[in-house]
Amino acid sequence: MSAVAMRQPAPLGLLLLAITAGLCLAGVAVGSLGWEPLWGGAGDASAAILWEIRLPRTLGAWLAGALLGLAGAVAQGLFRNPLADPYLLGSATGAAFGVAVLLVLIGVSPVAASGWGARIGLTGAGFLGAVLAVLVTLGLARGVQQTLRLLLAGVVVGMVFGAFSALVMFWAPEIMRAMQAFLLGTTGFLGWGSVALLAAVFALALLVAIACSRPLDALSLGETTAASLGIALAPVRTVLVGVMALATGAAVAQVGLIAFIGLVAPHLVRAAVKPTHAWLLPLSALAGGVLLLASDVLARWLLAPQELPVGVLTAVLGGGYLLWLMHRRPL
Amino acid sequence: MARSCHPGLDPGSIDRRTPGCRVKPGMTSFVRRFVWLVMALAAQAHAITVTDDRGVVVTLAQPPQRIVTLMPSLAEMVCELGACGRLVGVDDYANWPEQVRRLPHVGGLEDARIETILALKPDVVLIPVSSRALARLEGLGLKVVALEPKTLADVQRVLLQLGELLAIPQAKAVWQRIDDGVEAAARSLPPALRGTRVYFEVSSGPYAASESSFLGEMLARVGAGNVVPGSLGPFPKLNPEFVVRADPEVIMLSDRNLQQLRQRPGWDRIRAVREQRICAFTPEQGDVMVRPGPRMAQAAQLMVQCLQGKLPGRAP
Amino acid sequence: MSAPAFEVRGLSVRLGASDVLHGIDLDIPAGRWTCIVGPNGAGKTTLLKSIARLLPHRGNVRFMGREQPAWPQRELARSLAWLGQNETGAEDLLARDVVMLGRLPHQPWLGAASAADRTAVDAAMHQTQCWGWRDRALGSLSGGERQRVLLARALAVQAPVLLMDEALANLDPPHQADWLQIVRRHVAGGGTVVSVLHELGMALHADDMVILAGGKLAHQGACADAATHRALVDVFDGRIAVHSLAGQWVALPQVERDAA
Repeated sequence: MSAVAMRQPAPLGLLLLAITAGLCLAGVAVGSLGWEPLWGGAGDASAAILWEIRLPRTLGAWLAGALLGLAGAVAQGLFRNPLADPYLLGSATGAAFGVAVLLVLIGVSPVAASGWGARIGLTGAGFLGAVLAVLVTLGLARGVQQTLRLLLAGVVVGMVFGAFSALVMFWAPEIMRAMQAFLLGTTGFLGWGSVALLAAVFALALLVAIACSRPLDALSLGETTAASLGIALAPVRTVLVGVMALATGAAVAQVGLIAFIGLVAPHLVRAAVKPTHAWLLPLSALAGGVLLLASDVLARWLLAPQELPVGVLTAVLGGGYLLWLMHRRPL
Repeated sequence: MARSCHPGLDPGSIDRRTPGCRVKPGMTSFVRRFVWLVMALAAQAHAITVTDDRGVVVTLAQPPQRIVTLMPSLAEMVCELGACGRLVGVDDYANWPEQVRRLPHVGGLEDARIETILALKPDVVLIPVSSRALARLEGLGLKVVALEPKTLADVQRVLLQLGELLAIPQAKAVWQRIDDGVEAAARSLPPALRGTRVYFEVSSGPYAASESSFLGEMLARVGAGNVVPGSLGPFPKLNPEFVVRADPEVIMLSDRNLQQLRQRPGWDRIRAVREQRICAFTPEQGDVMVRPGPRMAQAAQLMVQCLQGKLPGRAP
Repeated sequence: MSAPAFEVRGLSVRLGASDVLHGIDLDIPAGRWTCIVGPNGAGKTTLLKSIARLLPHRGNVRFMGREQPAWPQRELARSLAWLGQNETGAEDLLARDVVMLGRLPHQPWLGAASAADRTAVDAAMHQTQCWGWRDRALGSLSGGERQRVLLARALAVQAPVLLMDEALANLDPPHQADWLQIVRRHVAGGGTVVSVLHELGMALHADDMVILAGGKLAHQGACADAATHRALVDVFDGRIAVHSLAGQWVALPQVERDAA
């Protein structure tokens, strides 16, 4: 077993930032006709399209990916399981359930739709559903005392809410097309309001998560050792669960259920460097943002003016790269 | 032999009834067989043969009196042809005409309830080609005719096939009436509004109806244009930017998607949104427009009313 | 003699459906090396975890003369270093980052590592001779190499009291000897060491021995004491014998001779 020369985390961070910048340019250049940079373009219409549609969509995709990557790293550290993903506490299916319920209510009475339904919107419903699911998980696990119970409760809640969503769709099959669009994920409707919301949640989640980076490192040695090092396990777990719920709820509400990013982004980082959580968390966020943004650009580009579902491309890109890594270098 | 003897009688019992009637011994069985053949041929004249959408030839001894349909447009066509009384079961989504709602419902495209269908003892089951129940029902011995109208041309073809199947000679007249209705709606569109560019959104995603879908064909028939070309398939999932660039003059969609339309980034510059030319169809109106069936004329009328800005119901 | 490091009164621990420890009364002296031994399942690890405040228990445990509520968590973490048994995880951390984790009780919540931290980490890694692979991921090390890194992590805390559970797992004889030296040096410097060992030969090098059997205290006494040796042989059902060899006590298995 040869000693692998470890690259430093900082150059990896710079590389990811550079890729992000490149992808942002690509994102702004790819439109409904494929590659068409409108920068030199004449007229007010080009500027409007760039500014109102393409730019917020690109930034929103990056932010959603960063949130999912960050939440994935937190989940893997909290549950000490490299297969953990941020949807483990049931937030994904909770969001789907919230969206399904709101769609049915809108169908039943369009009047309500223009009232409070419009104020909450589908994104609000998704977020509320996600938070509700996490609260149910916490209740079922009777708090954060035991990680294993939390994990099991999350899996159960995820399945139950998924079943509820399916039931709602069975009773109101007319929402099925809209639900499918939500479930496959799309960044098509992200405006500046969504970007501002995602940015605020990202800033908060990143700060809180990095503040917990040493406890996360200690947790990787086992809960007993972490306790012996003076880490207050219950408050740390509560804060981290809250960060996960907030981050995934916001991301899922805005762009739908995009699988794989939370699972894969931390592994992509760890394949390159072996950092402590103080570096792993922001690098996972960067990697997640790159992954989702790249998938989004491709989704818009490949079959323009049609759009592929983003979730399909994240699985292909993320999974493919992971497979290639496993092939090149045994983990 | 002066008098003819009753055919089929036992030769041994003839002579008391018809005196003077004598039948040769082999003659009776031949006559019997001959009459049987004549009756069979007569029955065959009533038999119905129809080739369904799979290319399978289905034969029925006589026009079906108990019909089960598994697609709403098929139920509508049967009723339009005047055979509504012969329907014994419809699918879960059939809701026109009114009497159809009171019939037993036997499921949808994916989940047809086989037992219920069997219990209704239908003479024929009208079912779309893509239904999962098709093979099962045939395997259980039912007469199954697979019909799935998807385009404008399909409506005429299926209507006439149904006319043959149900032995209704007025099918051609029924179709003519529908076609005239559509033509009338198309002619009622003022020339100034001809060629209006329409964007028809089928569901959020956004999924649009292109020129090659039934809705697209109807729009073309009434004289409107479609911003989504047919080369993208009937219901493509579009990049929202495409719609903004295409700048349609009229937007048609379901009323449940109306609210979030306004919140889409960049859509407030679309002409249709600025000029408030958005038609939000209720679910009932949506049913009329989406189903390729006998209410085509009504669908055409709704479209023309929308283009004229006179759509009844919710104002955008 | 100074105040005992640990004063245990009526310690009972219930794990799952059964009681593992039954009313243990014990004083562990400070400034000495105490070794806890006993047959499998006697409750050695449970006892060690309980006095380290890492397991919920019934009864009273005073550490350095203070009751549990009087110990703030970080102060306790600075005074008591724990090395557990069979600790998996942290595969992706570099060895020196793992050892640096031992400095957590001394570091402010969000501060960077100080010079004192780095010195402590260096010293600990040199003591256990794992400095050579400080830049390798823990998952890429062999069992013995990994154990030395974990030991360095415990030493980096620079706590006066060291609690170690099966610290010699996977260590080859030279490094077992190193461990012995580290412990002796720590005690000589005024520290206290409490270790659980199943290697009786090593355990007999300690100053004091606590013998557990069936969740109860069987004996406590100096390792050089004949009474302690007798108790040790008894608790293992006479299957071992304790002999003196080259100035050290060794425990050898009693092999039954076949009747010839």
